[in-house]
Parts: sequence; C-alpha cells; structure tokens
Amino acid sequence: MTDHRPSVMTGVRDRAQFGLCTALGLLGVFVLVDASRIGAASSSNDPIGPRPVPILLGVLLVVVAVLYAVDVARGGRGEEEAGEDVDLSTRADWKTIVMLAAAFVLNALLIQPLGWVISGSVLFWGSAFALGNRHHLRGLAIGIALSLATFYAFAIGLGVNLPAGILQGIL
Amino acid sequence: MDNLNHLLTGFGDVLTPLNLALALLGVTVGTGVGVLPGIGPAMTVALLLPITYGMHPTQAMILFAGIFYGGMYGGSTTSILLNTPGESSSVVTAIEGNKMAKAGRAAQALATSAIGSFIAGTIGTMLIVLVMPQVVKFAISLGAPEYFAIILVAFTGVTAVLGSSRLRGFAALLVGLTISIVGIDFVTGQQRLTMGIPQLADGIDVVVVAVGIFAVGEALWVAAHLRHKAAEVIPVGQPWMGRSDWRRSWKPWLRGTVLGFPFGAIPAGGAEIPTVLSYMTEKKLSKHPEEFGKGAIEGVAGPEAANNASAAGTLVPMLALGLPTNATAAIMLAALQGYGIEPGPLLLTKEPRLVWALIASLFIGNTLLLVLNLPLAPAWAKLLQIPRPYLYAGILFFASMGAYAVNAQPFDLFLLLALGLLGFAMRRFGLPVLPLIVGVILGRLAERTGRQSLQLSGGDLSGLLGGPVSWVAYGVVVLVLVWPLLAKALVRTRRSEAAA
Amino acid sequence: MTVLVGFVPNPFGEAALTAGVAEARRREEPLLVVNMSRDDVLADAHRAGEGELARVRRDLDELGLTSEVRRIEEGNDPSEVLLEVAGEVDASVIVIGLRHRSPVGKLLLGSSAQRILLDAACPVLAVKPA
Repeated sequence: MTDHRPSVMTGVRDRAQFGLCTALGLLGVFVLVDASRIGAASSSNDPIGPRPVPILLGVLLVVVAVLYAVDVARGGRGEEEAGEDVDLSTRADWKTIVMLAAAFVLNALLIQPLGWVISGSVLFWGSAFALGNRHHLRGLAIGIALSLATFYAFAIGLGVNLPAGILQGIL
Repeated sequence: MDNLNHLLTGFGDVLTPLNLALALLGVTVGTGVGVLPGIGPAMTVALLLPITYGMHPTQAMILFAGIFYGGMYGGSTTSILLNTPGESSSVVTAIEGNKMAKAGRAAQALATSAIGSFIAGTIGTMLIVLVMPQVVKFAISLGAPEYFAIILVAFTGVTAVLGSSRLRGFAALLVGLTISIVGIDFVTGQQRLTMGIPQLADGIDVVVVAVGIFAVGEALWVAAHLRHKAAEVIPVGQPWMGRSDWRRSWKPWLRGTVLGFPFGAIPAGGAEIPTVLSYMTEKKLSKHPEEFGKGAIEGVAGPEAANNASAAGTLVPMLALGLPTNATAAIMLAALQGYGIEPGPLLLTKEPRLVWALIASLFIGNTLLLVLNLPLAPAWAKLLQIPRPYLYAGILFFASMGAYAVNAQPFDLFLLLALGLLGFAMRRFGLPVLPLIVGVILGRLAERTGRQSLQLSGGDLSGLLGGPVSWVAYGVVVLVLVWPLLAKALVRTRRSEAAA
Repeated sequence: MTVLVGFVPNPFGEAALTAGVAEARRREEPLLVVNMSRDDVLADAHRAGEGELARVRRDLDELGLTSEVRRIEEGNDPSEVLLEVAGEVDASVIVIGLRHRSPVGKLLLGSSAQRILLDAACPVLAVKPA
C-alpha cells in the first residue's frame, strides 16, 4: 500500500512525520467542531444541508491521520520531492526559509502603505539575499527594475490591482 | 464536418495579430520555463493567472496553451543536456537522451525530441478534435448523480494511481477538499470554516491556492535544499538528424503517440506511465537493443512523443468534462472559473468559440515551437546560467504580485505564505500536490452535484446511485481502491503455489 | 612562487593555458591551473568536465612540468576566487584569457578580467586566442 520497506529497521524513521499526522488529526477535529456550530438548515429544497459534508471530511481526516500514524509507526516514509535544483543529501536550511518568510511578511505589511514598487523591490532584494546573493547593489537594481516594469506593464497596462502607495502621482 | 467548420472558425479567431503574438509569447515563455530549473508549466500558468484577468478569456487560454505545450519542449532540453529532468514525465527521456548528448549526439537527441513532440502534438490535437465532441455528446446527457460519480472517479484516480502512497495522496485530497468548503455555503448562506474572518467569507481563491502550493511551496522547498554545485553543460550545435536517425525515429514517434494519448485522457494517467511503456516497447522492438543504456535514439523519440501525446490527451477530459488529469490542466480550469466560466460538459455548447480557438491555437503553438526550437536550442541552454538567488527571488516576487492582484488585499499575502508553507510540508513528507489542487477545484462541484442528487431523491442515499453510468463509475472506484489488495493476494497465492 | 592559470573549457582557456606553460618554463616555476565552477547556477558553461581536466593534467605531465590542476566549486565570483588563490600560493603571475566585450556588455555584466587586472597584487598576463 505505502512505500514501507521490509521492517529490517526496527522502529520509526523520520519522526517528524508524526507532527504531520497530528496536524491532520487536529484539522479534522477543527472541521468537526466548526460543523457542529452550523445550524441545521436543511429544507425540502436541500434535504442534507451544509453540515454533512464537513462532518464527513472531518471524520475522514481523523481516520486518515490515524492510519497515517500507523503507517509511520510501521516504518513508512514519504519520499521527499526531488528536483533539478534540489540536493536532498543536505539538511533543510531553516535559516534561508525564515529569512524568505520574513521578506514575504515585510512585503505584505508594506504593500499598501508604501506601494508595490517599493515593497516589491524590498521583497526581491531580501529574497535574493536570503538565497545567498551578495551583490547587494545588483540585487536591488534588478528588484527595482522588476517592480517598475511589472507596475507599468500590469497595473497601468492591463489594469491589474497593484497599489502605487506613497509614490502615487510620481509613477 | 460540423467540427471541421468550428475548427476553421477557431483558426479564424486565432489568426489575428494580437492572438498570434500571444501564442508566440506563450510558447516562448513556456519553453523558457521548461528549461529553467525549478519552474514547470503548472507553476508558470499559476503565476500568470492573475495577470491575465484583464484579458479576454480566449486570449488567456491561447497564452496558457502555448505555455503548456512549450513547457514540454523545454523540459526535454534540460533532460538531454543536463540529465536533470525537471518533470517526472521527462525522466525517461533523460536516460537515453543524456547518454546521446555525452556521446556527442546532443544535436540529434534534441532534434528527434523536437520533431517527435511536434508530430505527437499535432496528431494528438487532431484526436482531440475527433474525440472531444463525442465525449461531450455523451456527457451532456449525464445527470447530477452520474456527474458526481465521475468526479469520484477523478478523485480516486489522482490519489490512487499517481502517488506512490495512496494514504498520502488521500490525505492531500482531503486537505484540498477542506480548503474548498471554506466560505459561505452556496445554498444556505451558512459560513463554514471562516473563523469569523471576513476575508474568508468568499472562500479561498483557487488562484491563491495554486500560486501558494505550486510557486511559493516549490520555491521554499528548493531554497531549503539548494544544490550548491553547477552541472556541466554539454555544448549543443544546431539540432539536426541524419538519414539513419530519421529511419530509426519515425516509428517510435508514432508508437509513442498511440501510447500517450489515451493515458493522458484518463484521470490519473499522467505522462509517466506511457513514457515508461514507450521506452520498454522501443527497447523490445529495436534492431539495436545493445545501444539502449548507451544512447539509443529510439529511447528518446518514443517517450518524447508519448509525453506530448499524453499532454494533448489531457485536454479531452478537461474540455469535455471539466476534469483535470494533470497539474497544468487543473490550473487552466481554475483560470476558467476565475473568468466566471463553468467548466464541464456544457462548456462546448456555451463557449464554442473559446474551445475551438483554444484547439486551433494548439496546432499553431505546436508549429511555432518546432520553428522556434530547432534553431534556438543553444540559446535556451544559456538560460541555465541564471544565478539561483535571482531565479527563486523572481518566483516569490511574481507569486506575491499575482496573489495580491486577485483581491487587492494584503490578507491574501499572509494566506499565500501559509499555503506556501503547506506546500513545503507536503514536499517534505512526500504528499503529492495534484490531489490537493484537484480537491480544491472540484470540491464545491462535487458537493453541489452530490446535494442535487440527494435533493432529487428527497435525502435518500439511493439518490446517489443514479443510472448505469454511475454504476460503472462506482465500479471503477472500487476496483482502483481494491486493486492493490487483490494484487497482493494474487502474488501471495502464486508464491504459495510456487512453494508447494 | 607559482604561475597561476585561470582555465575555462574554451579557446580563451586554452590560450591562457598555452601562455601559462610558456611562462612557467621561462620563470622555472611550478604551474597551478584553476578551473572555477560557480555554485549558484544550475549549469556553468565555464565548468570544465572531469575528462577535460584529466586531459590538461596529462598534457602538462607529458610536457614535464611541475603542475597541479584544481577545480574550485565554492563561491560565485571567478575573479574573487582567482585572486584568493593567487594570494594563497603567492603567485608570481596570473594568466587569463581575455574576451572581447562591447561597452554595453561591460556595463551590464562587469568583467571578471577587469577586476583581476585592477585588484591583483602581482603581474597579470592577459592573452587572446590566436
């Protein structure tokens, strides 16, 4: 059924998988709790109402979480996704992830007050920095060029929603 | 004949300067991202979705179709030159293609893959013209219970056949379905899973999910495991083929096409199975079996054709039934939903011009690809030298821009990050991504058709059974689910027989 | 003291190698051939393959030179890496192949050769392929 190999190795490989099982189980419980809150609003027009689907999903999520945990306990392990640019022999580089997430959040906070051109440049420069770029000036220059180009092409050209922010009137 | 007329109208619609330019842009961008590491056609279409909301749907679909076919071409270029297949479907191409390149036959490998893709793509698109309207004719008579059952087939298909682990596929599907029911219930107006957040009342936009899972999740995953070493580029000249290469290639092209198309058309077929089948067939039929594993041209020609034919096959269920069988098709369906066009059996009746223009643009895009890619292969290889920090920073940049543009609310950017982290976790734990996105796209439709069926029966569960079509569908579901148990039992009996 | 050659697998690299050999003979110093492969790109056209490096090694041995061939895979700036190695081995001369660059190209991409010329502490020999 799953890709667990003969249990020569006793015990569990990759304990972090239990974290995922827990998350799935909690999601299931949350869906069930939320469904119980919904008023029974069935009618002749809609005999089953909005509740059964979330209840079914919640139950299935909990069941899958349990089965998943059993599979992990028996030595099952999901295969990490490989790729052209992925080197699975190294440990996950959490520092990069945290820095990328920070750049992301910064963009989300700045996009309305300062506008896309500024927040987007910061996002690009910050992400490139997180990913190991040390040509700061070049990174910033590409970021500004990209944000300006996208702003003019998409916001002004195609009418996509991108805020001008404090540069309103200048751009 | 009627279809031919429609198709000609479609060509008329595409052959305007603007639409031709879009088709050209699509295949160029598609090839480019196919070559670039870490970006596939699904991610690109997801990234471009929000930007195209200002366009006419037909134009957006022309652009996406170009990216879809173009990505396939670009992917094979990297497999051959670097032995690093970006998509699972080009893994097989890399086996012989890279060996050929190392033996100094990169030009022939690229040529047979490009010409084979062109032939398979063209035949495949013709098959769409023939098959798709027939499927629509059949599908249009289906009622809610039958449609519900077919959606269940799609769900089991993508979870059970595709992933290595059904349990993990099923978990991904459930998460996708859960995401799909967030928001206001369409019949009763009750809020579900919104946690009182007003921005969630309208549900989570499919675009934000697609961009989050495909673009942000992938970028974060790659960033955490960045390869810190450059591969060697095998220098390429102009792709060309000698007479013996042609003689050895044309049959594999045709056989690959025949294998690929039907697998693309069934849910969860995907391109992996037909490419592998094609490889094995060619190995068996080849007059030069000793060359396999050392760079046999048949081993590139067949799988590449199968790959492209299956891409064409994917469009049959997508256009006729509204069922996505691969990630790019899933996102193209999400795009249609974004335009307020309901994909499904009625699409061809309601939007005939859109559908036929899309098909016509496939013919044109395919031809453009051949013209564009044979001479430009060496130029594409240069794209591999973009520094990684800029490449992945660019993905995050476009992802944020697109997700914000959907609703112009910063809330979506936080949602995007959360979904990106979910996509990261899925890649980390080996949960397949496709079931999730299919769950998000078809979740509401499944619930609606299910509830409609029960409405007809007054709430009695028998209402879900419907007619013969749904019986067959449920039969398929059960068979797919039970198959591994059956197979196990069979192996066991055989073993005990052998032992006895 | 060492003669340092920045090697790339193309005519510019070959020209630098040839000039480096002549220089090592003239100065009667050992030869260090360095190939730099950037670690921040998927594919680097300047990365020399194992076969290529083995051939260079064999050729240098046949010429009877005291030589070493090294590939460096960390870092993303060839000029920086080459200058670092030059400092390490106390190079007496750095030999590089020089490419033609249009003014616009120089503006956009900068030039590794230019940085080496400006920043090196020792003489730099820049050659062009015949």
